[in-house]
Amino acid sequence: MKKNRRIFGTVLLTLAIIFFYLPIVYMIVFSFNDSKSLTAFTGFSLRWYEHMLESRDMMQSLYTTFSIAIISTVVSTVAGTIAAIGISKSRKIVRDVMEQVNNLPIMNPDIVTAIGFMLLFITFRVEKGYMTMLLAHIAFCIPFVMLSVMPKIRSLDPNLADAAMDLGATPWQSLIKVIVPQITPGIVSGALIAFTMSVDDFIISYFVTGSGVKNLSIMVYTMSKRVNPSINAISTLVVVIIFIALIVINVTSAIMAKREKKAEIGKRKWVLPTIAIILVLAIGIGATSFGQTSSSLPFAGETLYIYLPGEYMGEDIVSDFEAYTGATVVVENFESNEQMYIKVANGGNYDLLIPSDYMIERLIQEDLIQKLDQSKLDCMPKIVDNIKGMPYDPQNEYGIPYFWGTVGIIYDTTVVDEEDLENDGFAVFLNEKYKGNIYLYDSERDSFMMALKNLGYSMNTESEEELSAAYNWLVKCVETMEAQIVTDEIIDNMINGRKALGLIYSGDATYVMSENEDMGFYMPNEGTNQWVDAMVIPKNAKNPDLAYEFMNFITNYEAAYDNSSWVGYTSPNRDVMNDLFGPDGDYEGIDAYIPRTDNENDEAFCYNDRTRKIMSNLWSKVKIAASNAE
Amino acid sequence: MLVLPMALIALYSITRHGNSIISFSLTLEHYVKFFTDPDFLTVLTRSLWIAFKTTVICLILGYPIAYYISRSREKMQGILLMCITIPTWINMLVRTYAWIGIMSEGGILSTILSFFGLGDFELLYTETAVLIGMVYNFLPFMILQINTSLCKMDHSLLEASADLGATPVRTFTRVTFPLSLPGVISGINLVFLPAVSSFFIPKLLGGGQYFLIGNLIENQFITVGEWNFGSAISMIMAVIMMLMMMAVNKIETRNAGGKEE
Repeated sequence: MKKNRRIFGTVLLTLAIIFFYLPIVYMIVFSFNDSKSLTAFTGFSLRWYEHMLESRDMMQSLYTTFSIAIISTVVSTVAGTIAAIGISKSRKIVRDVMEQVNNLPIMNPDIVTAIGFMLLFITFRVEKGYMTMLLAHIAFCIPFVMLSVMPKIRSLDPNLADAAMDLGATPWQSLIKVIVPQITPGIVSGALIAFTMSVDDFIISYFVTGSGVKNLSIMVYTMSKRVNPSINAISTLVVVIIFIALIVINVTSAIMAKREKKAEIGKRKWVLPTIAIILVLAIGIGATSFGQTSSSLPFAGETLYIYLPGEYMGEDIVSDFEAYTGATVVVENFESNEQMYIKVANGGNYDLLIPSDYMIERLIQEDLIQKLDQSKLDCMPKIVDNIKGMPYDPQNEYGIPYFWGTVGIIYDTTVVDEEDLENDGFAVFLNEKYKGNIYLYDSERDSFMMALKNLGYSMNTESEEELSAAYNWLVKCVETMEAQIVTDEIIDNMINGRKALGLIYSGDATYVMSENEDMGFYMPNEGTNQWVDAMVIPKNAKNPDLAYEFMNFITNYEAAYDNSSWVGYTSPNRDVMNDLFGPDGDYEGIDAYIPRTDNENDEAFCYNDRTRKIMSNLWSKVKIAASNAE
Repeated sequence: MLVLPMALIALYSITRHGNSIISFSLTLEHYVKFFTDPDFLTVLTRSLWIAFKTTVICLILGYPIAYYISRSREKMQGILLMCITIPTWINMLVRTYAWIGIMSEGGILSTILSFFGLGDFELLYTETAVLIGMVYNFLPFMILQINTSLCKMDHSLLEASADLGATPVRTFTRVTFPLSLPGVISGINLVFLPAVSSFFIPKLLGGGQYFLIGNLIENQFITVGEWNFGSAISMIMAVIMMLMMMAVNKIETRNAGGKEE
């Protein structure tokens, strides 16, 4: 009986450990994968490691993560311990109140704490960046330290300190020599929890960061939109760092324990060395990534802050531009135009933004971006005529197009009957023949665009009736079609042919079609969204001249070619567009690459605050309906 | 630093046009809006429900593991605890991201399952996927907390109980389990709370159609831009959490009180 229980325990524990390490092993294996796929191992390669080492962003995020974790662990451990001791010495009422207050952040869901910090920094107009992230981390770690120190203090004899002082110790001595050693286990476990919380944290960092500062979590969150095995490579590096640190610590502490023969405290002695070693490693990494020499180039020593969507720039663009100008480029990614807006509207400092058309219109309305000085720009003649004078910027005064395209349907030509597309248009997403076989895209605008167009309305409608008809259309779709609402995972999934149909941006379709020949792209005749993402300069830009330089650089043939061929979105540079589509171009004959410009039903989005709110609220209700349908 | 953020959220939740604090007017409309809309209530109950399921699973899996660890030799204990702690040092998002590959169609999990003739069914973007992701991320907290309180226990108590004629089962239910209750409670705290508010696990593993309260709050702040309403939801959630945790902690104190008598 007892033996059975032991076996049961061993089996359970083994399974648990397999469960815990499965994703980690999986990640390590796939970091050596030759292809981009996350499911099929096609061969051994180190290309993702090269890619990671070349990416300053990734190395910096590693440095940020560990330096913040270490500093906040040290500071919060010291502060938390002192606070805990202080509280234990105060009167009972104070103590009770303080304990309740301390429990607040622990009891609060992370996201609430995160939003609280964001509001705090915004209200006091603190510029968000490394310092705000560090402060927030320290603040949310302190309660955890206090929570684990407090019980230890409570179990101490209150007369201990008095005894020490009676014996001639100063208050400081009695604290350091008597009290602290007694509560060390509590302090150590508090520090460990703080470190874990800080390394693990995503939500709080995500809401309080700014000026391009990102930790690993934020990095992964913005990168995971497109399959990027470099994430696996960098995670593997983290695993390796941690294991090396642990081995070194165990070996040294074993040696130390032997030498000092103090077995009873040797067990937990590894914590301080761990921190020390990780610190050294982190500083080393930081030093290599920051150690750049400047030269006599025109913009040497200056910095350009760019804020653009994730995975939206060719991988060599930044380094080429830096080599060309001598400037340093700091890239920060946003997940949606709306997220960008919050940062920019609340004093975020950037020199160049790349939002979508309707958002540019909003930024113009709210006076957040400046008119461009055309004398500093030489790119207008190179740009495709169709995207000049769009409704968001009729005189081309504010923005220089970066990428452009349409929205359409990606479909598996081996499964989908093209007649269905011709007959149904977007209503193919309501065709029960494809039930359980469709992807919707998690964008309220484009989803509503699809429904509104299919119903024969304008996608810029302000009529609540039309919007609610579109809402019903979408609800019907998620309730009857078992639709999956995805974002950029659609790219990888369609390349692997996992579903028959999906709503997709033309640029993503181009990329999918270049990887999987069975895929086709269809734009319904009832019209679609014709969009432009453009570069704009905010009013508070610190270095607009460098931003102009970048605009000229990126619209030039070579950079524009690299950019468009890497990302797959259509270049605004006429020659680049034609060459990439033409013979021997990367996207030869892929019709999705050339956006449709001759359908009078196509429109561009305009900005309207009221409809925006209605749409986003209705869209969350569509998603709720989708979860209910499961 | 600890109270101020909460105070700000509370302030935003009862005002209009929250982007400037100078010109505000008090209102309760955001709360009314939340409680009168069945959709939002569905989201709330669904979040609580999945967090509850996560907590129960973590408890069922975590307790035996913690118990087993606490019964092994001291050296082994240290190693096993390390094994469980290490994964938590690798970023939560990174690990969740790896699950996408494992669970997606054609990934190893479905390959293994189809090998056993269980069919090539799709795991990613289902509730099960979200549940696996949550249990995976939060189970270590449960194990570590329970283990700490089990290790603190005086082992002679067990011997005493056996000497007094208690069966192993009785010893467990009357001695071991009540004594490990503080660990269980703090484990529940550490699992339930993050599970309710998590928004990236449902987003990455559940897909856009898996919408929990954390996603709703994020959505209100980021996409919709209704900070006041978002703050109100945050407040509602915080209050519910606190009430629940207070109830759970009551069990603990009552239990402790009973012991002293």
